[in-house]
Amino acid sequence: MSTMLFDEPGPRARRRMRVATVLGALATVALAVLAVRQFAANGQLDAARWQPYATWPMWRYLLTGLGSTALAAVVSAALAMAFGLALGLGRLSPRRWARVPAAGYVEVVRTVPALLLVYVVLFALPRYGLDLPLFWKLVVPLSVSHAASFAEIFRAGILSVERGQSEAGLAVGLTPGRTMRLIVLPQAARRVLPSIVSQSVGLLKDTSLGFVVSYTELLYSSKVLANYNGLLIQTYIVVALVYLVVNMSLSKLARTLEARRRAVLRRRTTRA
Amino acid sequence: MSVILDHLPELWQGLVVTLQLTAASFLGAAVLGVVVTALRVSPVRVLRAIGTAYVETFQNLPLLVLLVLAVFGLPEIGIQADLLVTAIVVIAVYEAAYIGEALRSGVNAVSKGQGEAARAIGLTFTQSLRHVILPQALRTVVQPLGNIFIALTMNTALAGAVGVIDLTAAANRVNLVEAQPIPIFVGAGLAYALLAACAGFVTGRLEKKLVILR
Amino acid sequence: MKKMLAVLAVSVLGLTACGETSNTAVPAVPGESKAATDVLANAPVAEAAAILPGSTMEKIKKRGELLVGGSLDAPLLSQQNPATGQVEGFDADLGKALAKYILGEPKVKIVNSASETREALLANGTVDVVFQTYTITEERAKQVAFAGPYYTSGLTIAVKKGTSGITKPEDLNGKKVLAGANTPAIPAIKKLAPQAEIITFGSDPECVQALKQDRGVAYVQDETLLIADAKKDPSLQIVTKPFTVDPYGIGLKHGDDQMKTFVNDWLGKIQGNGVWQGIWKNSIGTVVTGDAPQPPKIGSVPGS
Repeated sequence: MSTMLFDEPGPRARRRMRVATVLGALATVALAVLAVRQFAANGQLDAARWQPYATWPMWRYLLTGLGSTALAAVVSAALAMAFGLALGLGRLSPRRWARVPAAGYVEVVRTVPALLLVYVVLFALPRYGLDLPLFWKLVVPLSVSHAASFAEIFRAGILSVERGQSEAGLAVGLTPGRTMRLIVLPQAARRVLPSIVSQSVGLLKDTSLGFVVSYTELLYSSKVLANYNGLLIQTYIVVALVYLVVNMSLSKLARTLEARRRAVLRRRTTRA
Repeated sequence: MSVILDHLPELWQGLVVTLQLTAASFLGAAVLGVVVTALRVSPVRVLRAIGTAYVETFQNLPLLVLLVLAVFGLPEIGIQADLLVTAIVVIAVYEAAYIGEALRSGVNAVSKGQGEAARAIGLTFTQSLRHVILPQALRTVVQPLGNIFIALTMNTALAGAVGVIDLTAAANRVNLVEAQPIPIFVGAGLAYALLAACAGFVTGRLEKKLVILR
Repeated sequence: MKKMLAVLAVSVLGLTACGETSNTAVPAVPGESKAATDVLANAPVAEAAAILPGSTMEKIKKRGELLVGGSLDAPLLSQQNPATGQVEGFDADLGKALAKYILGEPKVKIVNSASETREALLANGTVDVVFQTYTITEERAKQVAFAGPYYTSGLTIAVKKGTSGITKPEDLNGKKVLAGANTPAIPAIKKLAPQAEIITFGSDPECVQALKQDRGVAYVQDETLLIADAKKDPSLQIVTKPFTVDPYGIGLKHGDDQMKTFVNDWLGKIQGNGVWQGIWKNSIGTVVTGDAPQPPKIGSVPGS
């Protein structure tokens, strides 16, 4: 798309583009240098303030936190996906008693902040005798909230499978249930895989609510760390980098999957 | 129920802050999002790279981390603003990455012939983007933008972690004093749901009005 | 599909099962810092006769581990040392001393608990005792039993050096005041300075940073913590004596009188033989100069 918005640049345009490039780069670098100098002037770049993050025990602690983040994310994702699939199917069901509650759930939960759900599990449920272990205090609200998003993804995926597919299934004598399971769902699952991965990245980011629950995932671990060494800004910069590396790898995975799917599709269409 | 009435002034104040956060940061995010989209489809490679780096960075960091970093880190490089303003800017910057992505897929959805036609009648890159591509792209992304708006409203709740007393933080404080979590949190939840419902209604109407039948 | 779901379900169960043990609790093995070990070496062990049959103490002894409700992020009181994984501080070491009294060795498992859920954790037996700046109030005593008090603290005010006009809590009226989220400072400020604008942050270092960046003119927090902060950062200054009295108790299951008597006996013993004072010296005493204070009289507070 982007390539057809402009002509192949001529010599003058190319010169102007070079100037723009240089100016843009210079401006960026100048801003960065200014910021770093200010940062250093405030003593935030002193070696002593960064030295702890050159030692293994601090990293071991952070990586343990990362492990807990991963665990919470994987469990919440599994629960949210299973529940979301049920909801998505429910919303497409011809039966009213399944369709209405599923649609209601998705529409309501989608509009309530995850943090508010965390507060409910944290403060409200214990008063009614339901005091979950810390891990579940994080996982339950995340699963409840992301199930709604997964439901929408699955529903879109199922709807995107051509009607002929399910008609064909029914025509060869499969029950509606088996048609869904054997014909529609496998195709839908393949189509929504990239969305599922990017939704999972969102979920992994949301595990940072462990900060509020005091479950020792990555962000809460960094809070404990900052409490211990008093290096607030340095700790959060390091943690931000960890999140960035992990999530970028996952997003890259999503793009690779998408590209592969496209390639397969292209091959099929050219063959046909 | 009486808990909510007793603390109506605080909760109302919280709701007002949530509305401010939502409206201001969505506006900021929309403007920035258009800029990011323009960067990502621009002819200059460095600008494209900057656009991509922007989206990649902000889509892959938790908002909570960004908020804490901005509130405590920015003053160290000489930029200190009010907590509410800082939160608005951070949320706008964060959501702009999502709006940028939505707009870009909208731009990609505009058929190729439109861009070629714009170029053929002699429009420059900026002109064809402004008069031909973006207006059409905007129409196809009304629904995704509505979803981003709802997500943004939900995300404003995180501003409570950096000292802004929004609706969620106000509800939490009232609960600390009154210890009646169910009515307080359900009330707050309803307020959010109402906000989202308004957004849904508006996007629904907009979509009907703007949709181009092809 | 069915098989896949079954596999998924099993793996979820398996994953969470191991998540439980390795994450919500931090196992503490004896022998962290030398000073702490020395003090604990002198800590008493209960006579066999004191462990009554059928009692909570016997249950703990059979289990071989004391389950303590506590924090990981309270410096000087109960703070995890990331380098060793150990939880250190006044509350944490008292927990270890109690474990030694029952078990003969300081084996504790700290269950990180949010302060709103301590009553529930004690009631359903997730933890045996709570050592977590648990202020004794008559209101709380309806839901839990309190041994102690074992320490008295109070809230005080810190400002940036050179700030004038704040000498008592009432001076905070109309000013921006920093406080930790969900701490007792919030109701206390509301009571004494109703016109103050309270700004909360999640942790102590965040509040300190916010004070230094002029997000508020004063920071209200427990005196011990503020002394530690002022010691680390010379730009801070404490401007009042503590203006509240918070007697900390050891939270026990409601109605467990056997355990309460047992823990009070232990508290009396360690206060008598200098172990309490030694633990104070190793934790709070590293920032507060002078000798350990006189411990509060056991049972002296309504609710204990």
